[in-house]
Amino acid sequence: MLSRIFRTTEVSAHCDLPCGVYDPAQARIEAQSIKAIIAKVADNDDPDFRTRAILIKEQRSELVKHHLWVLWTDYFKAPHFEKYPQLHTLFNEATKLAGATGTKGELDAGKADELLAKIDEIDAIFKETKAA
Amino acid sequence: MAVGLGVVVVRGRSMEPTLHTGDRMVVLRGAPPRLGRLAIVRLPPDDDGVPRPLAIKRVTMRDPADRTRYWVESDNQGLLGVADSWTHGIGSLARDQIRALVLFRIPQRLRLPGSRRGRGAPGADAG
Repeated sequence: MLSRIFRTTEVSAHCDLPCGVYDPAQARIEAQSIKAIIAKVADNDDPDFRTRAILIKEQRSELVKHHLWVLWTDYFKAPHFEKYPQLHTLFNEATKLAGATGTKGELDAGKADELLAKIDEIDAIFKETKAA
Repeated sequence: MAVGLGVVVVRGRSMEPTLHTGDRMVVLRGAPPRLGRLAIVRLPPDDDGVPRPLAIKRVTMRDPADRTRYWVESDNQGLLGVADSWTHGIGSLARDQIRALVLFRIPQRLRLPGSRRGRGAPGADAG
């Protein structure tokens, strides 16, 4: 058929971010996207754009939570929690910052910065466990 | 850029439920993007400078901050790892990053009059 006449090119509708590996970079990219979306909404009066942007911000916030939960439940093991007793609290605070009282529910760039800072703290511990 | 027809095959889930992996699309290379329609786009390299593959996205609007640039989105926004103009490091695309306009999907099985069951072998259906 047509595909025999024309050369077929593969086009990606796949995740182009790091996937299939444990890495706080995934949560960070989504959190940075959220921060950028908050800035765009602040600069824009178009109600359609704002509605769309806010919807995307909520979805990306859910993705942040998912990425963090995967690290929390699948990557980090009991010995890590013994060595870093603050980890549980860090994950709780970070996912809360991506939730209804954080970037999902609010349009506050400060919340996005707090979320990024928490992800950095988790990342620092993650890197220590990788190096160990 | 020369204008010409081409065929692409979709890999991945970021355009669900509109498109599914394995779908074949006829595209018009070099055609101008149309708002609301699908396009084949070249996303910028990631933060580490690694090039991204050619991607299929929906052109949703012009960039509100720069009307010469186009905003492209995935249809499946809840998918992990979704990468489009809303993603940090990507943003809107310049005209020359939009490589082709997607015209239509080639049906998975062309059911011609008289053919019993497309390309599938008899009894091959698992369902």
